[in-house]
Amino acid sequence: MERIVQQTDLDALSCKMAAVSKGYLPSKELQENVCGFSDYKTIHLEYFKSIMKNLGRRAQGQINRSLQSSFPVMNYGTYLRTISIDMVLHDYISNHNDDGFIQIVNLGCGSDLRMIPLLSIYPNMSYIDIDYEPTIKLKGNLLGNSEFFGKVLPADRYRLLSCDLSKHDEVINLLKEVTDLTKPTIFITECALCYLKDDDAQLLINSLISTYRKAGLWISYDPIGGGGEGPDGKDDKNDRFGKIMQSNLRETRSLEMPTLLKYRNKDSYSSRFKQLPDVNIDVRIQNLWEYFTKNISDEEKQRLKGLQFLDEIEELQVMQSHYVLLSAQW
Amino acid sequence: MNVDKTILLLKQGKHISEDTVYSLCLKAQELLINEANVTHVDTPVTICGDIHGQLHDLLTLFDKSGGVEKSRYIFLGDFVDRGFYSLESFLLLLCYKLRYPDRISLIRGNHETRQITKVYGFYDEVMRKYGNSNVWRYCCEVFDYLSLGAIINNKIFCVHGGLSPDVDTIDEIRAIDRKQEVPHEGAMCDLLWSDPDEVETWSLSPRGAGFLFGENEVNKFLRTNDIELITRAHQLVMEGYKEMFNGGLVTVWSAPNYCYRCGNVAAVLRIEDDLSKNYTIFEAVQAQDGVGNAIIPTKKTQMDYFL
Ligand SMILES: C[S@@+](CC[C@H](N)C(=O)[O-])C[C@H]1O[C@@H](n2cnc3c(N)ncnc32)[C@H](O)[C@@H]1O
Repeated sequence: MERIVQQTDLDALSCKMAAVSKGYLPSKELQENVCGFSDYKTIHLEYFKSIMKNLGRRAQGQINRSLQSSFPVMNYGTYLRTISIDMVLHDYISNHNDDGFIQIVNLGCGSDLRMIPLLSIYPNMSYIDIDYEPTIKLKGNLLGNSEFFGKVLPADRYRLLSCDLSKHDEVINLLKEVTDLTKPTIFITECALCYLKDDDAQLLINSLISTYRKAGLWISYDPIGGGGEGPDGKDDKNDRFGKIMQSNLRETRSLEMPTLLKYRNKDSYSSRFKQLPDVNIDVRIQNLWEYFTKNISDEEKQRLKGLQFLDEIEELQVMQSHYVLLSAQW
Repeated sequence: MNVDKTILLLKQGKHISEDTVYSLCLKAQELLINEANVTHVDTPVTICGDIHGQLHDLLTLFDKSGGVEKSRYIFLGDFVDRGFYSLESFLLLLCYKLRYPDRISLIRGNHETRQITKVYGFYDEVMRKYGNSNVWRYCCEVFDYLSLGAIINNKIFCVHGGLSPDVDTIDEIRAIDRKQEVPHEGAMCDLLWSDPDEVETWSLSPRGAGFLFGENEVNKFLRTNDIELITRAHQLVMEGYKEMFNGGLVTVWSAPNYCYRCGNVAAVLRIEDDLSKNYTIFEAVQAQDGVGNAIIPTKKTQMDYFL
């Protein structure tokens, strides 16, 4: 079961590489100009090259095939997922960077390479990646044994920690040793909460927020099942996206998302971040279709159109309405 | 090549030899070359929207609507791309066309082009199934001969996408030289790409080809051509069909649970002799080994979801 969940990192990475190779990422307007980091493509290609060497022939073949035939709907989605998180991060950091110190904890980090641009632009940032042990070991090896990453990654401000996220007390104990509880702290869960059991996820959220209660931000990206009671109170039971997703993932790869149909809309998903009565928390949530229509400029949309022909706009809407970006600030 | 035998094989999702596809495509071309850009069709007839390679759903469609042995059909295009069985779906329709030429009309959709099939799956499917692209090329040749529209009892106009600012009358469509790859702009492109929307006048389409058109354009087209209804496909509709503009236009979508994940139902529209409309709604059947029209779907290793 754990292995199946760990393998999802390869999906996330393949999607990202497809979006990079087709030119969706990085976005000049939203990534390079905002943060002044220009090696985005290089670091991803470099990491991808070395992780591929560590995979079996079958996995390699599968990844290569999916890279070659990446559908525009998928590339748009990966683009939106990456960009939206980056934007929230940069907004927060630029408003909380006065006293010069900020720490980021990426829970279920997988192969995400966000720390490299961030650490290179913000000299007073420290960054912690957490995932299961095999994932962390591999990532540590790939980064540690590379001359290239030795140069671009400031090792003194970056830590890789192995831990099972469903054991919230272990997560807290580990983090306490290496972080400053009084400083603003950002937690990222990008497709990570969805793999946890409801109670485990809730305990993780509650205990981290209360431990870092001084100031913080939680950014979370996840699928939501849809259906059931709609966001406007209207019954939306014709929406079967989540049910179908659940059975597809089960059938094709025995993958479970325990809370997909529980936190099936924006309201219920947000409610998980409002369980602590004594913490004043501002929770915002958008689905990624809303993000696409409202937050992406016309110029940027124009640029995307030029990359691949996006015919399937209705499908994009269906898919992206079932993924949310939450930012909870306290 | 024996058409009936090929139909049998296709229905079972069996491999069709390259030679068979070649002669099938050649015959289809010879037949289609003589069809008009806008074919005349009589009632009663069943209008079907996008199929997108969902072969077992196409078989369900025929099951639920009488079958080509008994009824007349118009298919509004987008036979290929996205689903696992683009080739089989398209070939099955071609076989039916050869076997029952007067009972089935095939209209070209925006996916029936070389460029789009290279991005959206048909090309890759053929490469996977044959190890070379020949079969894809034969099919693309046929695409160039598909008609652009149909007209039922001179009263209902059928097209894949919608209207074009370059087209006022159906006669103008008849005058297009259709036997080519779909151009990036102009009348032929718009007919395959445009969408109806709540707009005052012709507007830019978010798709990057074709236009958005509104009630005004639809009413004008209906009046000018003395027709009652435009039926088109092209857009996923979760309920299977959607009437717009006081019933002047309808979208029909015939690929249930589109891409095996959207959760929508599908519809076909039957037009009776008195031009009354009857929708049949159907759902995706779970593909099962050996049951009914069931075919074992190739497990998709493609990244379908964001994980
Ligand atoms: C789909 S990947 C996403 C990776 C990364 N956040 C991204 O978006 O690119 C999910 C990651 O969460 C990790 N994960 C899931 N459940 C976990 C748990 N209980 N403990 C530690 N890591 C977990 C997996 O190992 C995997 O690397």
